[in-house]
Amino acid sequence: MAEIALAYCASHAPMMSSARMAAPQAQRDNFFGALTHVREAAVARGVEACVVLSNEHFTNFFLENFPQICIGLGEKNWGPTEEWLPIDKVWIPGHPGLGNHIAEYTLAAGFDPAFSHQLELDHGIMTVYYEFDPDMRLPLVPIVQNCAVQPLMPLRRAYAFGTALGAAIRAYPGLQKVALIGAGGLSHFIGNPRVGDVEEGFDRWFLDRLERGEIEEILAMPDSEVELAGNGTHEIRSWLAVAGAMAPLNATKLAYEPVQPWITGMGVAVWETEDKETVR
Amino acid sequence: MSVYQLNRCVYDWVRAGEVNSVAGDGRVDFDSSAYELTDEERAAFEARDVAGLYQMGLHQVLVNRFCRAAGFARDDYRKLLEPFGHAEERKGRWQR
Repeated sequence: MAEIALAYCASHAPMMSSARMAAPQAQRDNFFGALTHVREAAVARGVEACVVLSNEHFTNFFLENFPQICIGLGEKNWGPTEEWLPIDKVWIPGHPGLGNHIAEYTLAAGFDPAFSHQLELDHGIMTVYYEFDPDMRLPLVPIVQNCAVQPLMPLRRAYAFGTALGAAIRAYPGLQKVALIGAGGLSHFIGNPRVGDVEEGFDRWFLDRLERGEIEEILAMPDSEVELAGNGTHEIRSWLAVAGAMAPLNATKLAYEPVQPWITGMGVAVWETEDKETVR
Repeated sequence: MSVYQLNRCVYDWVRAGEVNSVAGDGRVDFDSSAYELTDEERAAFEARDVAGLYQMGLHQVLVNRFCRAAGFARDDYRKLLEPFGHAEERKGRWQR
């Protein structure tokens, strides 16, 4: 059966690729240093494929039909779609075996994920995946979540889906080492009068709760409260799904920087599967 | 004639200029007449009136994508939207 050999979450912002140098050097070094750490850990641990959760930005779905969760089952997916994003536009290999297994397992567990045999991947997944594998050859199972269009899946349900997702990966017989990655958040505002603001207090509170294992305080928040930290902050659903998959492990923060030029609180946290000191 | 039509129009325009797995026609010859927009909505779209589109109910994710595709810098579009902001009196639990 497969092992989740590496689990981490990282904020995504298109500017981390398109305006990389706009961030102060100390912030860049801290954020990208953490991403280098997880990339090297993946190589050292022999990761064979990755599952990446991120949010839909009106790239695959629109208001006619907007799934809360969509699992990519295809042999390949395309990305990134943004014409201005300085990452090569390529076909990314999928992993149909693992994708189908996750879909079947989570259906049996009481969830109703949509599925797609070909997804268009935007900056949400591609910025983080590119930093993870600059060659973009590592098989990727994308899982797209609704974090933008009301009504949203409750935070508690996103966490519970993650629990089923983690069990699904661990029950997959076709691979040995899988990385589980959440890509999104932390606080940011887009398309409204507060665009550019970062709610650093929320970000540090959120990361602290993940490190302490005080998940219930997060899951109890209604969307109207999350929204106070930014309309983009709903993307913490990707982080909560990974937290659910890795429980009872707690997260360890590797980096946090409120990067104003990227209009986002940029965090990286790992659920360290090889360091038992972080187990509750 | 509906906020859906406005959102659909902007969405199609944004996506037309992106690099998708299947080549599209681009944004140059995009024709908004296929959408059931009010005169006010059509004028705001054609004039790239960000504040107008925001006020008419364009989804905020699409406001952001529209601005980037239309060449608005983030600081510039924030200035256009700032008059529609309001002071927030509620507090999140991280602020208490």
